[in-house]
Amino acid sequence: MNEALNILTRGFVRENPVTKMLLGLCPVLAVTTTAFNGLGMGLATTFVLLGSNVVISLAAKAIPNTVRIPSFILVIATFVTIVDLLIKAYSPELNQALGLFIPLIVVNCMILGRAEAFASRNGLVYSIIDAVGMGLGFTFALLLLSAFREVLGAGTIFNIPIVGEDANTMLVFALPPGAFAGLGLIIAGLNSLEKKMGGKS
Amino acid sequence: MTELLLVIVSAVFVNNVVFARFLGICPYLGVSRKLDTAIGMGFAVTFVMTIATAIGYFLHNAVLVPFNIEFMQTVMFILVIASLVQLVEIILKKVSKTLYNSLGIFLPLITTNCAILGVALISIQEKYDLLTSVVFAFFSAMGFILAILMFAGIRVKLEEADVPKPFENVPIGFISAAILSLAFMGFSGLVK
Amino acid sequence: MRPIITLTIVGLLSASLLAVVDDLTREPIAQAKEAMKRKAIEQIFPFELEKLETVKTDDTTFYEAMDAEGNIQGIAVESWTDLGYSGRIEILLGVSPEDQKIFSYKVVYHLETPGLGDKIDKDKFKSQFTGRTLDDTNWTVRKDGGDIDELTAATISSRAVADAVVRGLEFINEKYPKSTEE
Repeated sequence: MNEALNILTRGFVRENPVTKMLLGLCPVLAVTTTAFNGLGMGLATTFVLLGSNVVISLAAKAIPNTVRIPSFILVIATFVTIVDLLIKAYSPELNQALGLFIPLIVVNCMILGRAEAFASRNGLVYSIIDAVGMGLGFTFALLLLSAFREVLGAGTIFNIPIVGEDANTMLVFALPPGAFAGLGLIIAGLNSLEKKMGGKS
Repeated sequence: MTELLLVIVSAVFVNNVVFARFLGICPYLGVSRKLDTAIGMGFAVTFVMTIATAIGYFLHNAVLVPFNIEFMQTVMFILVIASLVQLVEIILKKVSKTLYNSLGIFLPLITTNCAILGVALISIQEKYDLLTSVVFAFFSAMGFILAILMFAGIRVKLEEADVPKPFENVPIGFISAAILSLAFMGFSGLVK
Repeated sequence: MRPIITLTIVGLLSASLLAVVDDLTREPIAQAKEAMKRKAIEQIFPFELEKLETVKTDDTTFYEAMDAEGNIQGIAVESWTDLGYSGRIEILLGVSPEDQKIFSYKVVYHLETPGLGDKIDKDKFKSQFTGRTLDDTNWTVRKDGGDIDELTAATISSRAVADAVVRGLEFINEKYPKSTEE
């Protein structure tokens, strides 16, 4: 039980795929202009990660080493296409906002990383827990950055205005430079927080 | 001709893959520690990106569209890129040992470089013809090289700088990237 | 041999699974696209949409909004310009059928700068177009001696919208000449 809890929680802070491992940064930076987009991207990625971890933990033994990576990529690409089609059908607004970055979930190195480092070596249950933990950690980081950028850049949160309509917001945070700066500030903030709490270095 | 020129300026400066499109961030952070590895990675990316986009063009227009199976696009493209990378690796090993030794270590990393798949997908989305696609892919790669070279140069200076503790390494890298990206925004509006 | 067989099996499984999902989502995707378009068209007309008829021509697509009896209440047209600050801007323009006065428009695609150029889709800027026609307006921005109030720090975007609107009005004038009734 302890082991399961450990696998579930480490993706949040200690081994957070974004702020600690620096994986899958392209969507993190690109789609985090609003909290809605950040959350949508996070959940879409979590779904793909869950699907690929389940299939790969079940099938890994049957796949010869030489074609391991291509097979994993095929599995991941299949789940990405499913998500892509589902989003197009049931949330066209999200599709419009995420656009190109939905098919690009395929090359999110976090997913192949988990398949290779965890799912192919562990059983089904742990692989599911790992996918949920890492996926939610990824979503959490996206949500943090996108809320930060939306509040400062557009003066709204989940499209709900929190400052007056004519207020001048810090536009730069809605633009590409704000994505880089925002992520830098968040990682620095988490670093110093961790120091203060006296966690492991 | 002017149209191609606009595509080139747009790919290198205005819509720079790293600073405006956010593609290829992982290698941008990963291999920009040293100038020569940055250059090696840059050339490997250029090679694969240009060929993958050209093959993607044929695949899209000769297979996916005629058979009405556009939903296989993501799967097919990533397979092409993965096999292309392996092929390049095998050929390089046979043809030039020196080139293989300098580029070889980057090749496996390229499969998950989202700039490759991204550029191939963008040129389909924009409905570029074959020539435009290839030019677009090649100069997008040039934009990528420009970005990692500039960043590698800055990193060398950062090593000696006195950075506040929480900002050491990665965070200060992102802040520098933000300033670079701000500078690149000055190019927007250059291409209509 | 075994690697190739494995890869083939994985590929076949993937392709057949996707074919099923594609088949299941084809209808919902078409519906979602339709609903998005309808939502955009609803926003440019001041009345409730009863019935919508799509008319495709070589150049563009028209949408005739009709009441329950089939009388045309408004015409929407897809229009665009390549003069935007960062390239193409696409709009849906709605006019009244009789005198071709503009109801409003909606920006459906643009790459303008967030916070500056993207104000072309805000009511504050859009409202000045309401009631104008092709002939009674000098379709350039004030800076160029025209009638359109440009957005501060986004003159190019404002100019581009005027261009897209004029193109839309010309499309409508061509397809639905004022003098002849339906």
